[in-house]
Amino acid sequence: MSARQGGGVPISLTVNGSPASRTVEPRLLLSDFLRHDLELTGTHVGCEHGVCGACTVLLDGEAVRSCLLFAVQADGHAIETVEGLAPGGGAGGREGDLHPLQAAFHAAHALQCGFCTPGFLMTLVPFLRENPDPDEHEIREALSGNLCRCTGYKNIVDAVALAARKPGADARGAA
Amino acid sequence: MIVEGAYRFPAKREVIWELLLDPAVIAKTMPGTTEMVKVTHEKYAGKLRIGIGAITAAEFEVTVVLADVVPPERYTMLIDGQGKFGFTRGSALVELVADGAPGGESTQLHFRADMQVGGKIAGAGQRLLDSVGKLLTKQGLDALSREVNARLGSRGGGA
Amino acid sequence: MKGKPKPRARTAPPHAPEPAGAEHRWLGKSVPRLEDRKLLTGRALFTDDVDLPGMLHAALLRSDEAHARIKRIDASAARTREGVVAVYTAADLGDYWKPGPHLVPPPPVEGLVFHSCTQVPLAKDKVRHAGEALALVVAESRYIAEDALEDITVELEPLGAVTDLEAALEATSPLVHEQLGGNVAAKARQTKGDYAKAAARAHTIVRRRFRYDRGAAAAIENRGVVAQWDAKAEELTIWDTTQAPIPIRNGLAAMLGLRESQVRVVAPFIGGGFGPKIMMFYPEEVLVPWAAMRIGRPVKWIEDRRENFYATTQERLQIHDAEIAVAADGRILGVRDEFLFDTGAYDPYGLTIPINSQCTLLGCYRVPNYDSTFTAVFTNRPIVTPVRGAGRQHGVFVMERLLDLAARELKLDRVEIRRRNFLAPDDFPHDHGILFQDFRPLTYDSGRYAEAMDMAAQLIGYEQFVNEVQPGLRKAGRHVGLGIVSYIEGTGIGPYEGARVTIEPSGTVRVATGVGTQGQGHFTTFAQLVSDVLGMDPSKVQVITGDTREFGWGTGTFASRGAVVAGNAVYAAAQLVRKKVLDLASEALGAPRQALVLECGSVHVAGEPRRTVRLGDLALKANPLRGGVSPGTEPGLEATAYFGPERGNAANGVHAMIVEVDPETCQAAIRRYVVVHDCGTVINPMVVEAQVQGGVAAGIGNAFYEQLVWDENGQLLNASFMDYLLPTALDVPAVEMAHTVTPSPLNPLGTKGVGEAGAIPTAAAFAQAVEDALQGRVEITEAPLSPGRLFELIGDGWPVAGSGEDP
Repeated sequence: MSARQGGGVPISLTVNGSPASRTVEPRLLLSDFLRHDLELTGTHVGCEHGVCGACTVLLDGEAVRSCLLFAVQADGHAIETVEGLAPGGGAGGREGDLHPLQAAFHAAHALQCGFCTPGFLMTLVPFLRENPDPDEHEIREALSGNLCRCTGYKNIVDAVALAARKPGADARGAA
Repeated sequence: MIVEGAYRFPAKREVIWELLLDPAVIAKTMPGTTEMVKVTHEKYAGKLRIGIGAITAAEFEVTVVLADVVPPERYTMLIDGQGKFGFTRGSALVELVADGAPGGESTQLHFRADMQVGGKIAGAGQRLLDSVGKLLTKQGLDALSREVNARLGSRGGGA
Repeated sequence: MKGKPKPRARTAPPHAPEPAGAEHRWLGKSVPRLEDRKLLTGRALFTDDVDLPGMLHAALLRSDEAHARIKRIDASAARTREGVVAVYTAADLGDYWKPGPHLVPPPPVEGLVFHSCTQVPLAKDKVRHAGEALALVVAESRYIAEDALEDITVELEPLGAVTDLEAALEATSPLVHEQLGGNVAAKARQTKGDYAKAAARAHTIVRRRFRYDRGAAAAIENRGVVAQWDAKAEELTIWDTTQAPIPIRNGLAAMLGLRESQVRVVAPFIGGGFGPKIMMFYPEEVLVPWAAMRIGRPVKWIEDRRENFYATTQERLQIHDAEIAVAADGRILGVRDEFLFDTGAYDPYGLTIPINSQCTLLGCYRVPNYDSTFTAVFTNRPIVTPVRGAGRQHGVFVMERLLDLAARELKLDRVEIRRRNFLAPDDFPHDHGILFQDFRPLTYDSGRYAEAMDMAAQLIGYEQFVNEVQPGLRKAGRHVGLGIVSYIEGTGIGPYEGARVTIEPSGTVRVATGVGTQGQGHFTTFAQLVSDVLGMDPSKVQVITGDTREFGWGTGTFASRGAVVAGNAVYAAAQLVRKKVLDLASEALGAPRQALVLECGSVHVAGEPRRTVRLGDLALKANPLRGGVSPGTEPGLEATAYFGPERGNAANGVHAMIVEVDPETCQAAIRRYVVVHDCGTVINPMVVEAQVQGGVAAGIGNAFYEQLVWDENGQLLNASFMDYLLPTALDVPAVEMAHTVTPSPLNPLGTKGVGEAGAIPTAAAFAQAVEDALQGRVEITEAPLSPGRLFELIGDGWPVAGSGEDP
């Protein structure tokens, strides 16, 4: 879906390691670009004003809110989404096919409706990379920019602690 | 939302009065005004564009109706602004008090506006309404003051 | 009150929990969730993920005014914008325009006053709340549709907004619905015994006004509807973020002049329900399918967050003038309560919320005399329908605060006053003599309230805190307090749900039920139930929920009833399939039924593991291509069952918390949070505990952070997450949990609901704890309590360090 206001801008970027080139409206949000133009619907939109964190993706390895960026701003950059975390996209049936964070979320029952989960996962990848051994308070602080209405956060905190003990938890995905 | 204040101008009440009600002056001095015309003796219509927080260019179509007009002492403005970001509606009382010696060259302007704000601006700009209101008012009054000085200057002073 | 049932004889409960045959291998186990993989890898389908060829996008023009007459709507400019396919106003809907159906009839309370005024698809003549829909734009993209909204000219003549509940009832108030001549939506009084007499002989009467304000459910996923009309097949498919796909299908089919079988409603993965997603029929649910059929292309509408604050239902303020009459020893003689309930601009959901408040107030206590009256008031604000807790919060707050205040006046310990009033374990079934939201007499089925209280008091260290810890902290100048409250949650109401269980030739079991799932773990918990009955691994059980093509009878997920009602239907259907399995296997293996064991997806003769047959093979055998199916039997290994409880059951619990109030910022930090919870038989402890933890987060939001601020003109002043504050990971502690298990005699599994439990008593516990922290210098009779408000209430009343005296 393009925003068609007249005048498309060609952009080229990599998404989960693969090149993507499109012509887009300047006002097209990055979240809409990923979800509708590239059909990567794992990134979710909760508020469109940068507070809930559900739309978090990685831009050149840093966590950003894709609802606050335009697609044109991603031109020339590397984007990673939740679909890129598990090798092969997690379509295989085996436990080992998941990224350690995903496996930890599952083991700790850190998701209920799952809508906010991709945003949490993408926030946590750079966090664990920079803080491989966080304590509970550090974890809660890191999570404080992502809203969840289902879990009350406890199991998410447990999942992060669990994942931190596993090797490769800070690894970015298939990228 | 209440916006009120006072300002002193170095000119007679009659001079200030005229300027306040001149649509060309309003267009120049009211911040964000892109258009202002006098429709009838008591009614003005125009367009405003102002920024409030995250909403960078809220456009309003404004009508102002004058009521209880007692020249050169006071008047009430009934203001109605409508735009895609919401609306604002209310009234403002403007009073001019001659300052200093009778027939003197100084006027105190007092005003008090009570405005209702609705729509997206109300929902997303609350924290900023008061400060924006004050800022716009100050900008407007400063501009009016410059206009007063310009007019006085062009009359060769002392009028 | 007429029609009071006769006292019941004490007989054995009609449905004692039945064993499944084998021991319960899966019931009560924390089985990791089967649905997680899709959600974790971003491959789960949510409504906005639906993408169809030729799909168009809709946006709605919404009123900025809270109350206004519509003079003119001119959409002609919008229609000419490039990329716009259609623009509809109320006039364009023709005969299709009609107010929505009345969803929940009021209970048959004597002397009831009730006016039904339901929402309309697009405002005609008048708008009654800020955000009410005026026009629908359908365009090639959402961006273009929103551009086109600005092309629509609307002339509204503002009317005075009705916002204050008491002013709304005055003769001079503007009217939300002129034809009613007033703003009263309903008035209902329920009584039991004689309160006046009880009050006359009371030792102490405590009377206060309480204000309890709720807020938005604010699920992270906003609402959405996608509709596709296949003109050749004459079939309509709708994806909807609804908690009730079956009633949506039935209602829309009727509205659109289609057979129910022509309409399929799919509630895919849903990003949180919490109540508002069961409201129906939202204007968008009515308009989008209609537009799709007219235009002949699929249409998608996805709500944005700002719209959600106006266009999705919410809960709001209740004002209670309540009093409690107690004896000298603290026993409750009676309670009287008069309250106002804000129902918003329309009342499609009837009186569910105030009835819940009315009933839940009685709590776990023996209340011999009760007189409760409420007036539901129309206001110029969005519709009020249940949000997690659904009015129970208000009842708990009033009762628990009254007990605390009575305890203080009688110089009685606050846990002790509750103990003296709890219903005892052998008091059940206990008929409270008033009607509950399911129209049945409010009758508690089972519970051990004193035991739960004792357990919670022990867990939080109540005695030690009061006698040792707190005095020490006070000497050190710290303001730390403890709150402990008990509550009842009526759950698991009817009317019914159904389920179909099918063993497929592959050996996989397929379970279909009509309820939807918004994160409660049905895909796992229902699989556990079936696994026990059929002797298999839950990973081999595939559960489908929320698709009317898979299962077409039922109501939905609400009122903490999914596991109870749908779960029991699944269980019953599995039992029927088990019987077929045993019959067939008995014949196939030449052994009597009693000698057969179901295990690991097969049936074998006890002690002879090689005399065995796989369930999948049995299923094939049961569906022959040759030979007959004998009369009285059915092909395949499939059964459908329904479960409708006789009435709702009563879950209960105790919440306790320790808070510390910072004198500089008035911020209250929660140091510990304890929940003792009883939801009867637990299917999956991990799921139950997570529901409680999540509910507590919602409760903390309600107690402290979340308040929708509506001004006197009906404008919402905090329509974004920047200003409507949801609790974050820094605000919600890990809840320490314990359970008592008092099975419900009202269903074979003995389960009770748990979805709302965590959210219900938090504000009451919080108020008690903060009062305790401030040594009673401040009285808290309202919720939520922001730091700013607390600052106002405290004023100069900060207790002096080390004083430690009783106020």
